[in-house]
Amino acid sequence: MAEKNDFEPNIVAFLCNWCSYAGADLAGTSRIQYPSNVRVIRVMCSGRVNPLFIMNALQQGADGVLISGCHPGDCHYMQGNYYARRRFNLMRNFLEHLGVEPQRVRMSWVSASEGAKWKEVIEEVREGVKEVGPMDQFKRRQLNW
Amino acid sequence: MVDLTKLREMAKEVISREDVRELIGYRPGTYGFRVRPAFVTGPDDADDLVFTPACVNNLASYIVLEEKLPVKRGEEPDLRKVAVMVKGCDSRALLQQMEEKAYPRERILVLGIPCTGVVDMAKVQARFPDVLEVGEIALEGEKLVLSAGGTKEEVPKEELLADKCTRCRYPTPLVYDELLDAEVERFADDDYADVAEMEKRSAADKWAYWEEKFNRCIRCYSCRNVCPMCYCEDCVLLRLQPQWMRRSVDLSENTAYHISRAYHLAGRCIQCGECQRVCPVDIPLMELNRKFSKDVLELYDYEPGTDVENPPLLSTFKVEDREDFIM
Ligand code: SF4
Ligand code: SF4
Ligand code: SF4
Repeated sequence: MAEKNDFEPNIVAFLCNWCSYAGADLAGTSRIQYPSNVRVIRVMCSGRVNPLFIMNALQQGADGVLISGCHPGDCHYMQGNYYARRRFNLMRNFLEHLGVEPQRVRMSWVSASEGAKWKEVIEEVREGVKEVGPMDQFKRRQLNW
Repeated sequence: MVDLTKLREMAKEVISREDVRELIGYRPGTYGFRVRPAFVTGPDDADDLVFTPACVNNLASYIVLEEKLPVKRGEEPDLRKVAVMVKGCDSRALLQQMEEKAYPRERILVLGIPCTGVVDMAKVQARFPDVLEVGEIALEGEKLVLSAGGTKEEVPKEELLADKCTRCRYPTPLVYDELLDAEVERFADDDYADVAEMEKRSAADKWAYWEEKFNRCIRCYSCRNVCPMCYCEDCVLLRLQPQWMRRSVDLSENTAYHISRAYHLAGRCIQCGECQRVCPVDIPLMELNRKFSKDVLELYDYEPGTDVENPPLLSTFKVEDREDFIM
């Protein structure tokens, strides 16, 4: 088990431009330390996140994926996060059905003022993924010809 | 049972109508107990039509698969109706297609068949492997009578029945213009016990199960091609820009294929079972589809292809949708 705890996961986070990205930014400008495992991809809205992005990230080497958007009611585009919530829920349940641990596939609401929450979210995601170890179910392998 | 004389008479009448271009139904196959789709364009062809428990194909697929040929200069496109024979489960495909506005209602003429179940051809094949003559399957009471080349055998219905029919919720078509027989009462129900069983297993167990299945897939895409709901002109599986999954047949790409296929049918799959039936390597695709069916029913109280007024599941939301999984 000691081995597993040394493992530092790759986490890909899709953050919406208006809330979560600004929240992560605020964490930075407020000098809040958060785990450096996360690689942020900025999208205009959580509704922009095609559920296949999750699959694709896991295939390409992510050990965990986080999607984060504005709280319900706060979406810059009024409704984008509501659509995202439905799509994500189904995808997460389905991946779990295939044997991908639910700790790897997470969603959060982080607003532009929640720098501190962002840190907590990232810590929790990291802990969860560390617990389940590296993603190797259907990671794309480089072939050595 | 559908009366054949009545079926053929009605088919003749329908195909003779001015506003009907073609009728899609079933006719006997060339050997064994199989039947094949029939594309009837004139009253004479209608004499071949049959309906028996061997009519497993979902003919709703053909309505959306038809290639739209370019119209020659000065010619009008042929907008006459296509008539199609559907069982209860197949009729849901039509409803779902129309819900998605694939075509307007007046483009099709639906001949509904109240259905008491069809056979699983794999089970028939296993039991009667070397029948080379054209055989017939008929339902008599609770027994299926299989006759071929002068021999006759009776088998209890449940031994050969397709799995989907043991949990059929809509045996009578939900949409039709003409009904070919008296309505059938619902004789089974679906409790998704099989999915719940799988859900209880550990992640490692589940993946071990699916890894073996996905490894076997040869990516023939039959499961996609046969599906009545897979009719996008620009399919995500064949996209090159972006290329969602590589063409190589390996575990990672195969899994990506199966996730994409199943997800694209979330809230759309009407559980006709065609995908699993055509798979040459026996991948239990219905177990993937049924996970979604269970979820959309439990989480969003949504059953695809039952109400044409329902907006498609993933292009709507409710403010009070569940979000207990969100951090
Ligand atoms: S699922 Fe129902 S409607 Fe479909 S073939 Fe079976 S019994 Fe008939
Ligand atoms: S996914 Fe399979 S069961 Fe569902 S509609 Fe398509 S062919 Fe039928
Ligand atoms: S029909 Fe079977 S082998 Fe062919 S692509 Fe589908 S799952 Fe794979």
